[in-house]
Amino acid sequence: MSKSKILASFAALGLLALPATTHAVAETHLTVAVKADRYSVKPDKFTFTTRRPAAQIAETAVKPDANFNPSPLLFKSWDYNDGTYTVTLQDGVTFSDGTPFNADSAIASLKLYDQNKSDFLQLDQNSFKKLDDYLISFRSEVESALVIENMTHRGASLFLPTDAMAEYPVGTGPYILESYEPKKQITVTRNLNYWGEAPKIDKITYLFIGDDNARLLALQNGEVDVIGEVTPQMMLSMPQDGSVVLNESRPIRYAALMFNMLGKAPFDITTDISVRQALAMAIDRETIAQVLYGGRGQAAKTILPGWMFDLGDDHANGFTYDPSKAGKMLDEAGWVVGDDGVREKDGRKLKLRMVAAYPNVSTVKPMPEMLEQMFAAIGVDTEIVEVADSGVYNDTYFGPGQADMYLEFASNNNTDPTYLLYNVFTTMSPWGYAVTSPGGNVDELATASRVAPSRKEAIELVRQAYKSIVDEHTSSIPILLVPNFTLSRPGVSVPMSEYADWIGYGNVSFNH
Amino acid sequence: MLRFLLTRLAVTVPTLLGMSFVAFAIVALAPGDPVQMELRAMGIVPKPEDIAAIKAAYGLDKPFFIRYAHWLARALQFDFGTSVATGRSVIAEIGHHMPATLMLSLVSLVGAVGISLALGTLAVMADRFTANCVRALSIVLVSVPPFWLALLFIHVFVLNLGWSRLVGDGSAIDLILPALTLSIGAGAAMGRFVYERVRAEACEDYVRLAIAKGVSPFGILLGHIGPRIIGSMTTVWANTLGWLLGGAVIVESIFSWPGLGQLILQAISQRDFPIIQGYLVLMGLVFFVTSFLADIVLVLADPQLRRGLADE
Repeated sequence: MSKSKILASFAALGLLALPATTHAVAETHLTVAVKADRYSVKPDKFTFTTRRPAAQIAETAVKPDANFNPSPLLFKSWDYNDGTYTVTLQDGVTFSDGTPFNADSAIASLKLYDQNKSDFLQLDQNSFKKLDDYLISFRSEVESALVIENMTHRGASLFLPTDAMAEYPVGTGPYILESYEPKKQITVTRNLNYWGEAPKIDKITYLFIGDDNARLLALQNGEVDVIGEVTPQMMLSMPQDGSVVLNESRPIRYAALMFNMLGKAPFDITTDISVRQALAMAIDRETIAQVLYGGRGQAAKTILPGWMFDLGDDHANGFTYDPSKAGKMLDEAGWVVGDDGVREKDGRKLKLRMVAAYPNVSTVKPMPEMLEQMFAAIGVDTEIVEVADSGVYNDTYFGPGQADMYLEFASNNNTDPTYLLYNVFTTMSPWGYAVTSPGGNVDELATASRVAPSRKEAIELVRQAYKSIVDEHTSSIPILLVPNFTLSRPGVSVPMSEYADWIGYGNVSFNH
Repeated sequence: MLRFLLTRLAVTVPTLLGMSFVAFAIVALAPGDPVQMELRAMGIVPKPEDIAAIKAAYGLDKPFFIRYAHWLARALQFDFGTSVATGRSVIAEIGHHMPATLMLSLVSLVGAVGISLALGTLAVMADRFTANCVRALSIVLVSVPPFWLALLFIHVFVLNLGWSRLVGDGSAIDLILPALTLSIGAGAAMGRFVYERVRAEACEDYVRLAIAKGVSPFGILLGHIGPRIIGSMTTVWANTLGWLLGGAVIVESIFSWPGLGQLILQAISQRDFPIIQGYLVLMGLVFFVTSFLADIVLVLADPQLRRGLADE
């Protein structure tokens, strides 16, 4: 046999050894690619395990409605009076192992959330009372009127306490755990005894694919049906031939520039409100909106979208693009344009450090560079520090106040209207946001909203606080409001939610 | 020989200790609080006493050197603690992902050795033009970043030709593209070494003698030069295996290969410091073991070294 024939034989064998393509996916088996495996078997951090994959196994007490108000799920109705919550439980519900969901099992499940270090619901553990088989009462340990709102967070899903709950979690949800391989995949199958409306999909597999490009390529190759955690770069490189379908929610996430309000030299320039307001007017939000996220973002006037909690689109005035007015404001503040085009005052250049971004710069690229150019147009020299890691962001720049401006990309991720306000925009912030908070009346409004006697009053206080943050203090500049996105292959319809944790993967439709 | 081995091992002890300190210090002194990051990422609003309790649970409230001493005492018993993110033991996590990485690295090494021998010997034995082309090709292949090669292979073999899949289940067939990606760069780099070593040996008297005796070029290569360079080649293979084990992270991530790469990338992003420390120590140990074995092979393969050690 000649050499060429031998080579050809080996080549043919090699081709035969390669696997067939994997386009054929059963219609009732959905494969979802997510970035990271957040599953945990650690009992004392069990609430952390209830994110997207496990959320199909367990359910929360209440769910968010279209306007992010809590609506019934495992809690049928509730009442808050004199600091006591009285709850009627949904009847006819069982956990997937057959245990009935009643006052006893509900209290046991709720008590799980104080047995770890994330006392998220802040329930008074000694206050639980069984009033009837399906009627319970409890109190908040901080007299909060917003406990029910916080129960819409997927982290507050109700699991049945069992010895093996870390390895085999049992909930009341539409799916049960089939298999789990760390850092690789988790598969859930339909709970045949589910008490609610049966989902359309029989089986869901979540593949953990850390690389953004790999997730997109896997979708293009038909190996997954849906991918989440879509970055601006993924949308820029998304093929435009219809092989990938973009699904989007209403705008929910905000990109905002937050100022160092406690800055010490050399990071003290933005403590002058004239500079902050001038910068706010130098931003061409419409242009940024066209570039980022494939033009699907919205120029933002406020931190939260108007539809959320019925805040209204005009609950703050915000800033329009007006570079000439911005220049005049800086002139009046004593910052005059120097020979090199950079403004200066008393021999000091108007040079600002901008750190981009929380949680990482890939979520907002190329916004930092666009802002740098817009600020340069009014004579502001911007030093961009791009950070790909939230740990470095917090410990090196944010916590110590080593910058003038911080670009952040976040959202109010539960139905508690005070959640974001209190934790990110007040000096009481447990996450260290005192550095960018205006304090004063905003702190007072946020504090009052937390103990407001009714949700309506709480929302009004929140509305006033955000207006004050943007219009009065300009401690933060809203730039963009961005929807939540998923990408799917053609023929796959994803019922979107503004909340990534509430996307109904069980009710995805396959259309042919 | 025994003395050589014992001396070699004795020298290794301070090296490993220093390495363990660096591994611990890098992680311990890096910015980013794993507790706060995890709580914030999950939207959990902690109370100061909760944060303090979690830090105490992980020993983060103690001074650096005391933490290191405690960690080292446990590490000597192969107890690297528990993953902050998952709650599983570090050894269990590494043990779960290690086989996939080991398989990928070994297959890549075999591929790289094959490529290196082919390129190296071809460059030596071919005519000048072909040899120059082979050397130029080697330089190009060494220069291509593995992640770029990985994306190229995906576009060609997965998306266009449909010969392979991107998201495998860890089976042998899914190994082909990531192994090929790693083999090419490593093989080209080693090919240049093979070329240099063969060229150097070809000038030796024993080769001239073999030529004078009428031994064929392949006979000289396999029967005379091969045994002489096998020791030094083993050292290169050992170092390459270490590089492949540690350097497969990005390639594993792109091909979603369920190895240590996935584990360490997520551990870094979550500041899962017990995993990172365990991984760094493990990689150090792997380098130590592979180079130790290579040294033994080097001694066994070289009669002069063997005699020298016997005389000591």
